[in-house]
Amino acid sequence: MLNVLMLGIGQCGNRILDAVNRESFGGSSKLSKYYSRQKFPSRVETLAINTAVNDLKELKFTAAKDRLHVPNLHGVGANRSIGKQGFWDNREMIMEEIEKRGDFDIAFVMTSASGGTGSSFTPLIIHELRERYKNITVVAVMVLPFREEGSIYLQNAAFSMRDIMEVESDGIILVDNQYLKRLSGDIKTAYDKINDMVAERILFLIESLDSEMLSVTDLGDFKTVMRGGLGMGTLGFYESDKKTTSLTSAIEGSIKPGGLLYPANVYEDAARAMIIIQGSRESLDVDEITKSVEKLSSKIGQVFKGIVIKKGRPKVLSVFTLGQVPDLEMLYAQAAQAIQDEKGRKTRAKKQLDDAFAYIEDLEEIY
Amino acid sequence: MRLIYLVVLALLASPILLAPMAAAASDDDDEVDEEITSREFSFRAGDGVKIGDYRVELISVVSVMDGLIEVKVWRRASDFEDWRVMEDHRDASFDDGAERGGLTLTVIDIFDEETVRMRAEYRSDYGYPQKYVTERAMAPKNLPKLAVQTTVDRTDISSGDEVKVTITVTNTGNDTARDVTIQDSPPLSQFRYLAGYPPKIKNQLSPGESDLAVYSMVAVTEGEVNMPATVARYADSKSTIYSASSPSISIEIKPKRMPDLVLKVDPPVPIKRGGEGPINITVENNGDASAYRVEVKAEVKSDGKSLEVVKGSLDESFFEIPPGGSETYSATVKGSRSGSYAINLKASYQGDGEMIQKETAFEVTVLEREYKYLYYLPVLPILIIGFWLFRRYKEYKY
Ligand SMILES: Nc1nc2c(ncn2[C@@H]2O[C@H](COP(=O)(O)OP(=O)(O)O)[C@@H](O)[C@H]2O)c(=O)[nH]1
Ligand SMILES: [Mg+2]
Repeated sequence: MLNVLMLGIGQCGNRILDAVNRESFGGSSKLSKYYSRQKFPSRVETLAINTAVNDLKELKFTAAKDRLHVPNLHGVGANRSIGKQGFWDNREMIMEEIEKRGDFDIAFVMTSASGGTGSSFTPLIIHELRERYKNITVVAVMVLPFREEGSIYLQNAAFSMRDIMEVESDGIILVDNQYLKRLSGDIKTAYDKINDMVAERILFLIESLDSEMLSVTDLGDFKTVMRGGLGMGTLGFYESDKKTTSLTSAIEGSIKPGGLLYPANVYEDAARAMIIIQGSRESLDVDEITKSVEKLSSKIGQVFKGIVIKKGRPKVLSVFTLGQVPDLEMLYAQAAQAIQDEKGRKTRAKKQLDDAFAYIEDLEEIY
Repeated sequence: MRLIYLVVLALLASPILLAPMAAAASDDDDEVDEEITSREFSFRAGDGVKIGDYRVELISVVSVMDGLIEVKVWRRASDFEDWRVMEDHRDASFDDGAERGGLTLTVIDIFDEETVRMRAEYRSDYGYPQKYVTERAMAPKNLPKLAVQTTVDRTDISSGDEVKVTITVTNTGNDTARDVTIQDSPPLSQFRYLAGYPPKIKNQLSPGESDLAVYSMVAVTEGEVNMPATVARYADSKSTIYSASSPSISIEIKPKRMPDLVLKVDPPVPIKRGGEGPINITVENNGDASAYRVEVKAEVKSDGKSLEVVKGSLDESFFEIPPGGSETYSATVKGSRSGSYAINLKASYQGDGEMIQKETAFEVTVLEREYKYLYYLPVLPILIIGFWLFRRYKEYKY
């Protein structure tokens, strides 16, 4: 059985974590926590970390003991420097809280790339996890901002992504709010929907890695996939309805843009992939699966396949890393532009002030 | 002194002078060759001086440094009126000057923004200069006047609390206040300044206008603090400097707020052997700050299964208990052997960065077997479900 640590950091991370906890209650009913028990496929420990008490209070399905408030006198705002300082000031307290939950094989650290708390804590926490746990696989789940959220968010996203790369996580799973916002009208429901999608996929992944699979994929394979390409990728998902029963089209569906959490052209950009198919024994035709995965391999390269027998309609999860990320490059260009603009504004303002001061140069106050 | 000489001289000379003058007057009626006298006097802005029918009024001192004043000279019952800016030590003729029956005025000295010494030359028959007060002087002067008010949003605080200071400066005068600056006492060591310090306000305030500056600070020590007055300096149109200040404020900083948890247990009803009984525990915060990460742990002094917890737990944790707040939880214990069992409850919690421990103890008595409470049994499932729901609620309540 796998020992899984799931950390949700900052508001966005907290909420996704809450979605994971809700999912584990089985039903989607608000009252499920009163009559049902949380069931995780593996030993899963969840911990929501935040500097904002209110964000923690907002959660519904995460036990009180799994919400860790990091006191930071004036909050973090969207300032990553303050955030980092806040982490250093409370490092032992935070790590103790994690360490007392035992040993772990894999950790998912979930956060928005663009906020203050999550984006600044996450690289540091990943670093600490690496130092303290010998054989842990650490995967960051990073949520990219809506591009119109402003220059500070863009800039935070750019720098936090770089920080994450530097601390050498085993991989980054990208989730793009901008790309996914088409799913829903208003922001609130979009958030909920995105969070549910992420939660469902990650739980599916954990369950698959921990199951007796017909075709073997395990944590090692997952790690291999995540370390491929640029070390970042995303998840695709497809759940077949009654009409499309063909496994081939289900597998293809799981890598179609519509099913991804981050816009990518899998056939062209993917470096390594893992396809996990879940379904009832009758519905799974191993030959058909093997054939269509081989077809994929010929285009992408290394593709691992996993088959899990479970009651219900066939579901397919694709995990892949990318060799190129044009959308992220665009975000960096936007961030750089935003930083330049900001700098320009500052210098202009400074210059105006200096010009104003020039009027009183060499003068003294007279009374 | 000089004046006395002149008067004496005039008195001595008059009998001698009068004769030839009378002769001259009869000689030449029109071309009266009156003597010119010269007299000095000081007057203040707004004062006037009568010399015969002439009136000389000092309107204002334009500049002490440059030696400029403004005067108005006019003659009664005529339409002669002359406004002029005069430079010191320079003769100025009014109404054609003294030689022609008018005045010749010279500024001898400018003492300050208000006071000027002047020499007037004129025909001696105009008499001595006489002072009078002009209407202008009686009208209120146009001067700026600032009122400074310093307020804090709270005077009763504890170390670590934030205080917002508002400085309001209002121009209650009737001229623009210029070069307005405010000086708040040098930063007080009892506070750490957060934002807005040092306070700044507008450089100029028109009559009636007011401006305010706000800053916030956090108390870092305890005790009585006297915030000295805030001083505003400003100048009027002539660069005269004035200052105004607010009354000082005293603030009492109380010691840091601390949480103080009290563990309370409803005295447990004795349970019968083999029976179960609820234990209700209340954690009350009687302090004045939130207690965080409250962890209650129970230690049951019982060998094995004599007394055991069957539903819920005597251990609980709460993320936060606000001051004045309390949390209640329950557990059900089952007694298998009669006797008294001591239970120790320990609460540890975090207040202002340090861990605090509190303890309490109580006893649960298990009676000999007895069946007369049997009819309570049907109620039990409902109670258990209630407890269970409540416990779930607590578990997910943050
Ligand atoms: N997908 C998703 N994104 C969110 C959610 N809440 C906030 N965000 C995004 O996260 C970013 C703000 O970061 P946030 O997590 O609030 O900051 P932090 O609490 O300081 O770490 C913005 O780009 C938001 O669009 C959420 O519930 N779901
Ligand atoms: Mg936020």
